[in-house]
Amino acid sequence: MKYLDLAMNAAEALGAEYADIRIQKTFDQVIYLQNLSLKHTSNDVQQGYGIRVFKNGAWGFAHSNVFSDEAVLATVKKAYETAILSAEVNKDKKLRLAPERSYLATYQTPVKIDPFKVPLTEKIDLLMEVNRTMLAYEGIKQARSLLIMHKDEKLFANTLGTKLDLSTQFINPMITAIAVTENDSQSRTFDEGGKAIGWEWILELDLINIAKQTAEEALIKVKADTLGEEQRRTLILDPNHLGLTMHESVGHATELDRVLGWEADYAGVSFATPEKLNNYRYASELVNFVGDNTLEGGLATLGFDDDGVPGQKWYIIKDGILKEYGSTRDTALEIGLDASRGCNRATYYFNQPINRIPNLYMLPGTKPLTPGELIADTEDGVYIQGRGSYSIDHHRINFQFGGDFFWEIKNGKLLRPLKKVIYKSYNPEFWNSCDAICDERFWRPFGVVNCGKGQPPQTARMTHGSAPARFRNIRVGGSQ
Amino acid sequence: MNSEKIVKYIQTNCQADDWSLNIFEDDSHETRFAQNCITQHIAGATKEISLSVSFDGKKGSCSINQDDEESLAYLLKTAEDIAKLAPVDPEFVPSEGKKNIPAVVNCDPETRALQPKQLVDIVQNSINEAKKFGATVSGLTEKHINSNCLFTKNGFAGEYEYSDFGHSMTLKKEEVETKVSYEAKKFADFKLNDLWEKLQHQATTLAVKQEFEPQKIAVILRPVALQELLWFMGWMMDRRQSDEGFTPFTDKIGKPFFGEKFSWFSTMQQPKLLALPYSSDGIISEEIPWVEKGVLKNLPVSRYWAKKINSKPSNAYNMYIPGEGYTEEEMMKMVPRGLIVNTFWYIRSVDVKAGEFTGTTRDGVWYFEDGKIKYAVNNLRFNEIPHDATCRIISTGKSELALPTSMLPAMLIDNFNFVDKTSF
Repeated sequence: MKYLDLAMNAAEALGAEYADIRIQKTFDQVIYLQNLSLKHTSNDVQQGYGIRVFKNGAWGFAHSNVFSDEAVLATVKKAYETAILSAEVNKDKKLRLAPERSYLATYQTPVKIDPFKVPLTEKIDLLMEVNRTMLAYEGIKQARSLLIMHKDEKLFANTLGTKLDLSTQFINPMITAIAVTENDSQSRTFDEGGKAIGWEWILELDLINIAKQTAEEALIKVKADTLGEEQRRTLILDPNHLGLTMHESVGHATELDRVLGWEADYAGVSFATPEKLNNYRYASELVNFVGDNTLEGGLATLGFDDDGVPGQKWYIIKDGILKEYGSTRDTALEIGLDASRGCNRATYYFNQPINRIPNLYMLPGTKPLTPGELIADTEDGVYIQGRGSYSIDHHRINFQFGGDFFWEIKNGKLLRPLKKVIYKSYNPEFWNSCDAICDERFWRPFGVVNCGKGQPPQTARMTHGSAPARFRNIRVGGSQ
Repeated sequence: MNSEKIVKYIQTNCQADDWSLNIFEDDSHETRFAQNCITQHIAGATKEISLSVSFDGKKGSCSINQDDEESLAYLLKTAEDIAKLAPVDPEFVPSEGKKNIPAVVNCDPETRALQPKQLVDIVQNSINEAKKFGATVSGLTEKHINSNCLFTKNGFAGEYEYSDFGHSMTLKKEEVETKVSYEAKKFADFKLNDLWEKLQHQATTLAVKQEFEPQKIAVILRPVALQELLWFMGWMMDRRQSDEGFTPFTDKIGKPFFGEKFSWFSTMQQPKLLALPYSSDGIISEEIPWVEKGVLKNLPVSRYWAKKINSKPSNAYNMYIPGEGYTEEEMMKMVPRGLIVNTFWYIRSVDVKAGEFTGTTRDGVWYFEDGKIKYAVNNLRFNEIPHDATCRIISTGKSELALPTSMLPAMLIDNFNFVDKTSF
């Protein structure tokens, strides 16, 4: 597109040391049903461009939704002037950009059936049937179903000579049943998160059967017992629960901008500071975390990040030891890395990209182990499925998690369902208590589509994954 | 194309039985700094044109950010096509009709006139002060001019603008971390020196820290901390959700469900408070008590649910909680010992039906005894039910602005339920 060259030439003519332009068109289709009322069906399109200019150790970023030569040139000028203003402040502490080469590339999410081309009536009919299925159960007072389809078309160019044409997308179904009794109300949700895949995933899922199971489990949950006083117990955690635990306690803790204090005013900092690299026992030796922006179906598998850095795969925790972070071009050199790991991403065209969690997952155990064997080998514990309450302090140390469905384990068997279970732990204590991980047959991904961070706030997407894992001696109990 | 032309286009071309058009615009300048250095610097304007249409109770929506005729044709056709394919909504309500829209002053000319250089100077001065103090500072300095138009086929015609200026500073000096912030529709009340002095005082008094075990203890929640906690509770205060049995407020209207010292209003009578004149679906903002002297008076009601229960729709557009006017020093003398909490972080629901939340303290916790601050303490996690906590209010301070939409006092609350601690 002509605007790429126009903008980059103009930025260089003004004296930019580096500049890039991201022309982005974003499509969202959202369908939301509450009971049999189609509350929301919309197609949303946002298009525009964001231009970054780097000058004298400082950034300037300007954006516009007006597509004309004059508007592009005016936006370049605004970005440049903003960089100059920033540079006046950054006299004593200049930002630096890690070296990067140029690329000419295209990337497209592999999709068999484009969800945007599936007839709308088919989608609405499916969700209507999902809700009817849940409402057929006596005691289910509310059924909710949500389907989000998202596509990004992005053209990127920078003054290094990179030109990228990236088309990425994801799909995210979510189903909730809410059961009400005289004294309580409990929900059960099916939520595997989003996946970078087409409509073929929805066809594979069999949402009607999932709706039945969701409703049945909501009814079990609302009548279930509570656990009582907090005490040290064993936890077995399902992948779709662990997805959120690892997001909060490993993903955010190993973002390099946090480590450097760049998020201190809002999202917080991190205890996992650079002097701990290669020597800090973050987790037991069974635990390996990989950053992988090449993961098939991964929500952060975008080909390239918004610095123009390609997707990569690297160890963040290896054999339990902290090895590296997720980094960007403007954070990498701060701790002596020689290159960015490609974790700079913006949500919409009007967002300046920030350091984001990559696709981050825990490798499965290397010895054959099934979830059934794991439960059979546990004397006294709680098995947690699904995402519930979650909260972690701004250094990413102290946390409390709930879940969506719980079973008490006694003498190697699932004894009774529970509700209102929460567990508390400290980050290294928790991951060091991991003493068993099921093997690769049971590894599953879990996508996060709404990771909030930044000022102004942005929501990013990434995928986590694990096999079921066991954690010993954790404080587990009921809520108030 | 300006808003008038967009409205005219929809009026002329829309074939649907009913339509509702929202146009949101935001012209922003945001300077983000960290560790005494600007890390992000953003300038630009955004626009969202959102159209909802219906045919015989079948609804469809579309939104775009381009306003040329081709884009508007896409907007209209997409929304209409979706509506034609959708099933009839059993909860359909027609768009809002003509209303008298209250006049509220939300846009401040001085804030509107702020130039990028002025914002950067505020950042520079903040960093200079931090350096003099031997510390680093991180934060955001921002200015926004927002506008909205809402027009419907049934005759609703509303437009408003509002301004927003904000400056936050998180200071780090050795092990001390603490934060102050100002955000309001008016720039004129912002005094960097006062804000900096407060930050410096907090940092100084946080320098001596002792380990503190979690327990139930009296707390003074400063306005920002209280605002954070109560907004989460406020999101749960929905009439339909309560009538259907999902929240702690089921069957509680008209009953003394909160503490006697607790009242909460949405109001247009406090000049410092931002009060948007109507909601995105046209519910007109009115003076409304949600809680008065502990009695739950009202819960926000959507337009559909209001029709179903023969009530009036309502919207919690801001938070005004009157205070008694006690100072922090006076409140410290009212209990033998307690904690002062500056802000909270990562508040989330633990049990929706019980109304229980968790979260942690942040940016400064002080232990006081015999009416005086003794030392700072480590951060703590709480598990607490906010409406229960209001039943344990001992006294309240003077109402002050915590956010453009919240004006509330510090509160002294007994037996606040801290359940865990952290190492910093």
